[in-house]
Amino acid sequence: MKKFLTFLLTLIIGTLLVHTVYAGGPPPKNVMKGVFTQVDPVTRTATIKIDGQDKIRTLILAEGMTVDEIILDKKVMVSLDPHAGPNVIKEVTQMFFDMTPTKVVALLIVGLIGGLLSGFIGSGGAFVLTPAMMSLGAPGAVAVASNMCHKFPKAMVGSYKRWKYGQVDVKLGLVMAATAIIGVQIGIKVQNIILDHWGNAGSNLYVSVVFVLVLIVVGAYVLTDALKLSKGNLEAKTSKLALRLQKIELWPMVEFKVANVRISAWVTVPVGLFTGMLAATIAVGGFIGVPGMIYVVGASAMVASATELLVAFIMGAWGSVQWGMAGLIDIRMTLLILAGSLIGVQLGAIGTTYVKDYTIKLVMASVMLIVAVSRGAKVPGYLADLDLIPHLHHQLSVILNSISFWSLMVALAVAGIIISLAMIKGMLQDRAEKQAKLANEAI
Amino acid sequence: MRQNDPYQPELSVQRTTRTSKSSSVSTTPSTSKATQTAFRKKRPVGKMVLFGAMSLGAYALLFSNEALVTNTFTLGGWHAALPVGTAFLFSFMHGAFASNFLDVLGLEAKKA
Repeated sequence: MKKFLTFLLTLIIGTLLVHTVYAGGPPPKNVMKGVFTQVDPVTRTATIKIDGQDKIRTLILAEGMTVDEIILDKKVMVSLDPHAGPNVIKEVTQMFFDMTPTKVVALLIVGLIGGLLSGFIGSGGAFVLTPAMMSLGAPGAVAVASNMCHKFPKAMVGSYKRWKYGQVDVKLGLVMAATAIIGVQIGIKVQNIILDHWGNAGSNLYVSVVFVLVLIVVGAYVLTDALKLSKGNLEAKTSKLALRLQKIELWPMVEFKVANVRISAWVTVPVGLFTGMLAATIAVGGFIGVPGMIYVVGASAMVASATELLVAFIMGAWGSVQWGMAGLIDIRMTLLILAGSLIGVQLGAIGTTYVKDYTIKLVMASVMLIVAVSRGAKVPGYLADLDLIPHLHHQLSVILNSISFWSLMVALAVAGIIISLAMIKGMLQDRAEKQAKLANEAI
Repeated sequence: MRQNDPYQPELSVQRTTRTSKSSSVSTTPSTSKATQTAFRKKRPVGKMVLFGAMSLGAYALLFSNEALVTNTFTLGGWHAALPVGTAFLFSFMHGAFASNFLDVLGLEAKKA
């Protein structure tokens, strides 16, 4: 425990030293936080006291905006429209929605199942928590920030538990995290280039297409592998690709003891880079990190998913500091989700000790494929925004949006059910075996 | 002892020594068989209650000062230490509670 804590502390201090790196994309620009003090309907201006500064700024209401849309005396997030001119308001959102009991319960439940999932497959949760928070009324940036801030303590608890079970390869985790952070930088650069050329809609489309393609290709591969293993009741074998890559004796060779792999650093580095790039693009790096560690590096699903938790902790802590410095974390949401997910993540970690390797792959593949549907449902909307296809009917876009949201919930439910059933089955089997053994000894 | 508890037999040998008046000593080994319940780990109910109360108290404290907390925590800059530190603190308290809670429920990792 002491060793682990010292290790974590060194890491956090180390992460604080670097300021220029963001995980999961940078906090938004053209956004300010503050409190509107008054609004003038005649001149169509509003005065706002910016957070952390003494001066008061006057902003102009955009065309079509009514005075009622300005929320007075409450902390708001204002996004500006730089194309319409300086100081023109594009959108005003209340930063902290009122916490009702229903919202509290919703956050607790989503947190619990999200935690269960990440304790089990090493990632997940983020893809469903952020949209869930947004649908409860949180602005997008606040949802991303609050999720990030809940992710690192959760991953810390989860990786500690799985480290105790001997599943975490610390060295592999550190190499992955270090390269992933560089990958995040590259990902952000790519995003910015796309944003400059094709604007917001183009960037949304790019993100969704990457998301859907990666999830379908990787998800389908993992699913076929898991099904093959479950049918034949075979022991999981190291993939052919990994075996071939392990034979390449290219300096520097790195040995990962827990994962039981000796491989050239030239192989692990790209896996980490892609994980980071994906994290910066779609905010869920684990969907490429875990399969990458399994099929390219050659670790078992058990070790890969446990190691991913360590990567998630390091990157999450990094990101939280960045988002916190931008002042966007709603600590109430963070802590409510944490209340559920700290139980879930430990339960998921316990669960991995009772199941076979392929169950982890099966859960991961199902989640990835259902989430792909969710994101895919958004693509027509983005295509229409770019005028690549005719505009969608209002009704159709409403249906597509609800498909997108509910498929996330289905993904969560399916994962929760598979994990619980596999765990109960494993526990009952274990108990029966133990009793049989005792009975044998007694005779 | 609960009915479904696994049990293990215990064999103990007790030596009895008798000394008679004619100062001859006879020693007879005698055995007795007893059954006892197998070793059972104590469930950490006390710890769970302690950490649970701490965690609950911390949540109550934070949510009763909701407005103050949300405003100060989002001022940006060095204030980032506040939400990050709070998340850490809560994860230790609530994490310890959750761990003990699962132990009390009897959900433990499989022992190899």
